[in-house]
Amino acid sequence: MSLVKGLVTTMRTAFRRTTTKEYPDVRPELPPRSRGVIALLEENCTSCMLCARECPDWCIYIDSHKETIPAATPGGRERQRNVLDRFDIDFSLCMYCGICIEVCPFDALFWSPQFEYAEFDVRDLLHDKERLGVWMGTVPPPPALDVKAAEPAEIAAARRPPRGTGLVGP
Amino acid sequence: MGVGGLATSDMVLNIGPQHPATHGVLRLKIVLDGERIVSADPVIGYMHRGVDKLFEVRDYRQIIALTNRHDWLAAFGNELGIVLAVESMLGMEVPERAVWLRTLLAELNRVLSHLMFLGSYPLELGAITPVFYAFREREEIQAVMEEATGGRMHYMFNRVGGLREDVPAGWTGRVREALTAVRRRLPDLFSLVSGNDIVIARTRGVGVLDAATCAAYGVTGPIARASGLDLDLRRDQPYLAYAELFAPGGPGRVVTRSAGDCMARLEVLLEQLEVSLDLAQACLDRLETLPAGPVNQRLPKVLKVPEGEHYAVTENPLGFNGYLVVSRGEKTPWRCKLRSASFSNVQVLSEMLPGHLVSDMVAILGSMFFVVGDVDK
Amino acid sequence: MSTPVNLPMPTLGPVTAYAPAPIRVVLNWGRRYSLWVFNFGLACCAIEFIATSMGRYDFMRLGVIPFAPGPRQADLMVVSGTLTDKMAPAIRRLYDQMPEPKYVISFGSCSNSGGPYWDSYSVTKGVDQLIPVDVYVPGCPPRPEALLQGIITLQEKIAAERITKDSIAAKQPARYAATRTASAAEVTRPLLQRP
Repeated sequence: MSLVKGLVTTMRTAFRRTTTKEYPDVRPELPPRSRGVIALLEENCTSCMLCARECPDWCIYIDSHKETIPAATPGGRERQRNVLDRFDIDFSLCMYCGICIEVCPFDALFWSPQFEYAEFDVRDLLHDKERLGVWMGTVPPPPALDVKAAEPAEIAAARRPPRGTGLVGP
Repeated sequence: MGVGGLATSDMVLNIGPQHPATHGVLRLKIVLDGERIVSADPVIGYMHRGVDKLFEVRDYRQIIALTNRHDWLAAFGNELGIVLAVESMLGMEVPERAVWLRTLLAELNRVLSHLMFLGSYPLELGAITPVFYAFREREEIQAVMEEATGGRMHYMFNRVGGLREDVPAGWTGRVREALTAVRRRLPDLFSLVSGNDIVIARTRGVGVLDAATCAAYGVTGPIARASGLDLDLRRDQPYLAYAELFAPGGPGRVVTRSAGDCMARLEVLLEQLEVSLDLAQACLDRLETLPAGPVNQRLPKVLKVPEGEHYAVTENPLGFNGYLVVSRGEKTPWRCKLRSASFSNVQVLSEMLPGHLVSDMVAILGSMFFVVGDVDK
Repeated sequence: MSTPVNLPMPTLGPVTAYAPAPIRVVLNWGRRYSLWVFNFGLACCAIEFIATSMGRYDFMRLGVIPFAPGPRQADLMVVSGTLTDKMAPAIRRLYDQMPEPKYVISFGSCSNSGGPYWDSYSVTKGVDQLIPVDVYVPGCPPRPEALLQGIITLQEKIAAERITKDSIAAKQPARYAATRTASAAEVTRPLLQRP
C-alpha cells in the first residue's frame, strides 16, 4: 500500500514543473539588497577613511593625497581637496557585512548583487578602484520601503520648515 | 572474554574529524568491545576560531558580523543575543515595530535551522529523499530572508537599537506566501521523516537521555525538551515579543516529549517547526496592526557601552545562546564570553554513547542536533 | 598481522601528456564533465555547498558528481569553510590521497585567506598555504550560483590544459600566497593531553 502511495507521489512530482534554476543559461533574479559585490562611485569618495576604519576585518585599502585648488576668483581662498590614489577592496578577505556601505557618509559605496568574479589567482580578488567602478553599472535602485516604514531621515528633514542658514545671498 | 570464549580486546576507533556523520569537523574517539561502544570521547576544537578573543578588538557593530557565524544555521538568533545584551546595558528601548520584525525574522530563522536538521538527519540514517524536500522549503524562506536582509545565511540585519533598515515594500505579503507554501508542503516532509518505518526502527528507543543528565550537562533546546525538561526561554524568560506570543491563548507553546530517545528529539523538531510557522504568522498579523514607525534608533557616532557586565541569553534553535559582555566603558567589550548551545549538547555524548552499537552511533550523533562552529566557537 | 599491500598511486599515462590536440580535446572534455567532487565541508559555506547540490541549483547538470566515497576517488576538492591549524594536517593528507589530475576550489572568504577570522590565533590564513588552489570563489558565504560559476571557470581551465608531469609538478611548489605549501607531517602537532 505504501509502495503505491510512493509511486503516486513520484508520478505527481514527475509532471510538476522543475524547481531547478538553469543558472548559466538563465540569469537568477536577485533582490536588490542582495550582497554580491561592492561598487565604488569614485566621484563621491572624499577618502575620509571611515569605511576602512569600520571594516570588521580591515580589508579596504585607501591612499590619497591632498591637492590644492587655486582660488576660483581673484583674491579668493585656495582650497584643499583629497584626491583618491588607491581604493582597493580585498574580496578574498571581505566578510560581506555591509558596514562600509552603511558608514559611508557620501554615498560612494553600493551593494551590487553581481557574484560572478571567481578567480584563478587570489591576488585578482583585490579589486582596485577601476574595477570597483565597473561594478557600479550593476547596482540596482534600492527597493521601496514597506508602507509602515518611517520616513527616511532625508525626506523628513526636507519636509521640515526651512530655517535660516546664516548665509547671505542665494 | 567475549562470546564463545574468544578473546577480545578493546579497539579504539576514530570517527572524524572529516566524516559525513559529524556534519562538520567533530572527532569522536570511541573505544569498542566488538560492536559495542565502551566509552566515547568527543574531541573538539577542529573548528575553534577563537572568536571570544576577536570580539575584544571589534566594536559593537563589528561584533555582530562575527556573532553571525558561529552557529551558521541560526545567524539571526546569534545577532539578536549580542544586540539584546548591548541594548540592556545601554538601557535602550527598541521601537515596537523593530521588536516584532525581529521576532518574525528569528522565527523564520528557527524554521530554517530546523528544516536543515530534518533533512540531514534522515540523510545520515540513509534516507536521501527528505533532504531535497527540506531544502526546497529552505530556499523558499531563504529567498524572503535575502530580500529583506541581503544575505542568504549571514543576515547582518540587527543593529544596536533595532534593525539595519526597514523591510522592502510588499515583503510581508511575500513572507505570507512563503509561509503558506511551506505549510502546504510540510506534510510531505513530515510523512517522509516520521512516517518512515526505517527511521522509526532506527530511532525509537535508541539513545535515551534522561532529564537529570540533561540538566547536569546543561543540555538545552529541543534535545532537553525531548527528555521532558520543560524549558524554553521564550516562555520562561521572555525577550522580544515572546511574552505576548506565549501568553495563554497565544500561538506559542512549548513542545515537550518524555521518551528522550532519538525519535522524541526528531518529533520535537517537527512539532516546533509548526509552532514556529504559527509564531511567524502571528508576528505578521501583529505587524499589520502596528502603526507606522521607525525600526532603529539614532546612535552616537562612537557607541560606548557603560561600565558593567551583563549576561543576555536567548533561545536559539539549538538551545540557550548566551553572551556575557563585560564592558569597561570602551567602544569594544573588555571581554565577551559566548555560551553556545551545541557545546553542552555535544559533551553529553560521552554519557550517552557507551552501551550502544556502533551503527546506532550515527543515529545518536545526528539526533543531537549540533553545529560544529557552535561547539568550538 | 597482515602484510601491507603495495598499491601505487595511480599516475597519468603517456597518452595524456603526448596526445595530439584532437585527442586531448576529447580527454579534456571527459575530464571536464565528470568531476567527482569531494566536499571538504568545514563551516558555513558547506551549507551553501549542500544547497548547490540540491534541487534548486543542482550542480550535477554541470557534471559535478557529489558521490565520491572519499578523496581517493575524487577529482575535485571543494574546501568550504574556515580551516583551522588543528584541521590543517588532515586537509593536506586528504589532498595527497587524491589521484592526479586533481583540482581544488576554495569556496568562500575563510578558505581564500582566513576571511573574517584572519586575525585569529587558531585559523590558517587561507587553504592555499597548504594545497594549491585552482579557483577561488569569493563570498561569505558565496551564493550557490557563485559556486556554479566557479565550477564553470574551472571547467574552462580544464578544457584548455595539457597535463604533463611537468605541469603537475609546477602546481606543487610554493606559489605566491605562501612561501611554501606544507606537507601534512610538517603541520601536525600531537594532541594536547587532558590536564
